Amino acid sequence: MEIIEWLQFLVGAVLLLLGLGIFTVEMIGVYRFHYVLNRMHAAAMGDTLGIGFCLVGLIVMNGLNLTSLKLFLVVAFLWFSSPTSSHLIARLEVTTDTEKEKHYREVPLADLEREMEERKTNSSVEAKEFLTQEGSAMEEPRENLGQEA
Amino acid sequence: MGEGVPGLASAYTILFTAALIFLAILLVLCLIRAIIGPRVADRLVAVNMMGTIVMVIIAILALMLQEGYLVDICLIYAMISFLAVIVLTKVYMGVYLARQDQADGKEQENGDN
Repeated sequence: MEIIEWLQFLVGAVLLLLGLGIFTVEMIGVYRFHYVLNRMHAAAMGDTLGIGFCLVGLIVMNGLNLTSLKLFLVVAFLWFSSPTSSHLIARLEVTTDTEKEKHYREVPLADLEREMEERKTNSSVEAKEFLTQEGSAMEEPRENLGQEA
Repeated sequence: MGEGVPGLASAYTILFTAALIFLAILLVLCLIRAIIGPRVADRLVAVNMMGTIVMVIIAILALMLQEGYLVDICLIYAMISFLAVIVLTKVYMGVYLARQDQADGKEQENGDN
């Protein structure tokens, strides 16, 4: 029986630490991205995967009883509430943003596909230039997006 | 947790204490993000993250202190933090649209989306 209890502890501890690691990644992402709609992507990870791992670890440690069911209910509630609140925050941001062109640009999907086809048919030199442009755009999105728009 | 097995109780205590300290540090970082966030949506995202981390803290405390009723508080906390985000979003959007309407000088019903 001792081995089973130690095994329970170890599996639960690994899951809990995995959840804490995902919270760390979330925090790094929230500090590294430069704009709200990017940050939201990192923040949504902790809402579902981070708390999911943490609470599943706690369920494994606790064993099966009513407390475990309640812990699972918390995770299940967050599966529904997290996308809803993310959607509302994103809509708030898009509605109240007065300088959209500074942060992002709106492109119709057909234009984007045509652009990608052109880039495929172009020479490799231009493809390389495009790749370096994309690399710098990842580091400093605001300036580059402003120039492109 | 882990009574009757030698060493297991202290292992649980160490794991839970370490996890709680780590989550407290993350909570402070979230608070800093909420303070420096340049836009309102930044602050809302940070408050949402703080709610999630506090939920994990309450769940860990429920197991650490062997008090099952703390998980009920965790469930209620999840609902209230969800409600807070919805209400703040609606109120801010309503205020923004009302101000915009005032600036445009229009008579228009707002706050319905």
